[in-house]
Amino acid sequence: MAKILIVDDDDTILLIFRTHLSKAGHLVETAVDGVDALEKTSSFKPDLILLDINMPRMSGFEVVKNLKENAETKDIPIFIMTSLKQDANIKRAYELGINEYITKPINIEHLKLRIDKFLGKTCS
Amino acid sequence: MRLTSSPHFYACLYIAVGLLAAFNIFEIVFMLFHKNRLDKSEIEKELLKHRISTAIITVTDPSEVLPKPVNAMNYAAYNEAVSSIIESFEGEIVERATKLIYKFEIDLYYKRLSRTTIWFKRAHAIDMLSSLKLKKNREFFYAVFKSEPVKEVRYRILYGLSRLARDREDIYSISKLLATLPYLTAKYTEDVFLNTITALKNAGKEEEFGFFLKQIMTNSGIPLKIKRDCLSACYLAGCERDGLIVKEYYNAFQNEPAIIIACIRTLANVDPGILPEVLHHKDWRVRLTALKYAHLGGTDLLHDLKDLVHDSNYHIRLNAALALSKLGDAGLEILRGETASTDKFAANAAKYALTGAEAAS
Repeated sequence: MAKILIVDDDDTILLIFRTHLSKAGHLVETAVDGVDALEKTSSFKPDLILLDINMPRMSGFEVVKNLKENAETKDIPIFIMTSLKQDANIKRAYELGINEYITKPINIEHLKLRIDKFLGKTCS
Repeated sequence: MRLTSSPHFYACLYIAVGLLAAFNIFEIVFMLFHKNRLDKSEIEKELLKHRISTAIITVTDPSEVLPKPVNAMNYAAYNEAVSSIIESFEGEIVERATKLIYKFEIDLYYKRLSRTTIWFKRAHAIDMLSSLKLKKNREFFYAVFKSEPVKEVRYRILYGLSRLARDREDIYSISKLLATLPYLTAKYTEDVFLNTITALKNAGKEEEFGFFLKQIMTNSGIPLKIKRDCLSACYLAGCERDGLIVKEYYNAFQNEPAIIIACIRTLANVDPGILPEVLHHKDWRVRLTALKYAHLGGTDLLHDLKDLVHDSNYHIRLNAALALSKLGDAGLEILRGETASTDKFAANAAKYALTGAEAAS
C-alpha cells in the first residue's frame, strides 16, 4: 500500500482516481490546486504525487519546482497527468524533475499498472 | 421665483429621496435573494455531479440508479460530469458515460436548445454538445453551421467540429468553413487545428494532418493566416517531427514572413542549418524569431550574431547580444569586444547582455 496524493481542480476526476486507487489498496489524499497540493504534501507525506498542470492559484509546473527545491519533498516521485501534449511542456516537466508524463485521456487500468510497477521498482 | 420657495418643493424632494431609498433597498434584497438562489443551485449541481460520477464509476448501467434530468441545472450537471470523464479518461468508464448521455437524451436537450431564438443560448448549447465529443454530432454540426446566422455561434460550431475530425478531408472541410468567417484570433485557429490533431492522434491517424498540410500548401482558397496557424498548431502538437512538409512550406513561402516564422519554430530543432539564412532574412520579425533559436546552431553562428549586434533594428541588436551571451566563453568574448564599439547602440546592447550573463553565473 502506498500513500498517493492526487492533485486536480476537477472534482469528477479526483473522485474517479480516489475510488479506483483506494480500491487498489492505496491510501489516497486529494488536493484541488497547487497551493493545496503543497500544504497536503507536508501533512500527508505521500509516496507518489499525481499532478495536473492547469490549475488555479498555482500551476503544476510551479508545484513541481517548489517540491524539488524543498529538501523534505525533493525525492517524492511525481507523475504529471495532463491534456497538454506539446513537446515543450513535456520537456519542461522532465527538466523540473518529474518521473512520468502521462497525457489525457487516461486508461485507469493502465495507470494502476504503471503506478504499481513504478512503486515496486522504487521500493525494491 | 426660486425653485426652493415653492410650497411643494420639500414634499417632492422627500418623496423622490424616499423612492430612491426604497428602490435601492429593493435592489439589494433582490440581489441577495438571487445570489442565495444561485449558490443553492450551484451546491445542488455539485452534489448531483458527485452522484453521477459515483454512479458511473460503480454501476454498470448508471441510468438505473440516477434520476432523469428535469431542468437546466440537472442537464448542466450531467453534461459537466460526463464531459469531464470523456475528456480525461478512456476505456469502460467512458463507454458508461456515453451510454448515459443517450439514455437520458442529454444531447437531444442541447440540440433543441441550439435552435432557440436567443443567440447566446444557442452558443451555450453548442459548447455543451462540443464538450461531449459525440461522433454522431458531426452531421448535426455541419447542418447547424449552414443555418446559423450569428458568427459567434458559428465559431463555436467549428470548434466542436474540430474535436470530431476523422481524417484529412474533415480538416479540409473545417479549414474551408473557417475561411468563410472573419479571422478571429491566431489562438482560436491554432486551437481548432490542435483539436483536429488530438482527435487524429486518438484515432491513431496522426499522419493525416501531415497529408492535410501538404494538400493545402498550394491551395489559394485557404488564407495564408490559416496556413500559418496550421503550422503553429503542428509545432505545438509536435506532429511534424521530421519537418519534411514544413521544409516544403519554408521553401515555397520565402516571401511570406508569417509562414517563415511559423516554419522556423519547427525547423530550428530538426534542421538548424536554416539558421544562418533566416538570421539574415530581409524581414526583421523573421530575424528576431531566428535569434530565439540561435543557441541551437551553437558556435557556428558566432559571426552571424556578431553582425546582428549592429543590425538596423533595436530588437535585433539586443536579442543578438542576448543570444551571444548564451554561447559560452566565445560568445562572451565577442560581447566584451563589442562594449568598446563605436556603434553606441551595439555597445549598449553588449553591456546589457554581459550584465545579465554575469548575474546568471
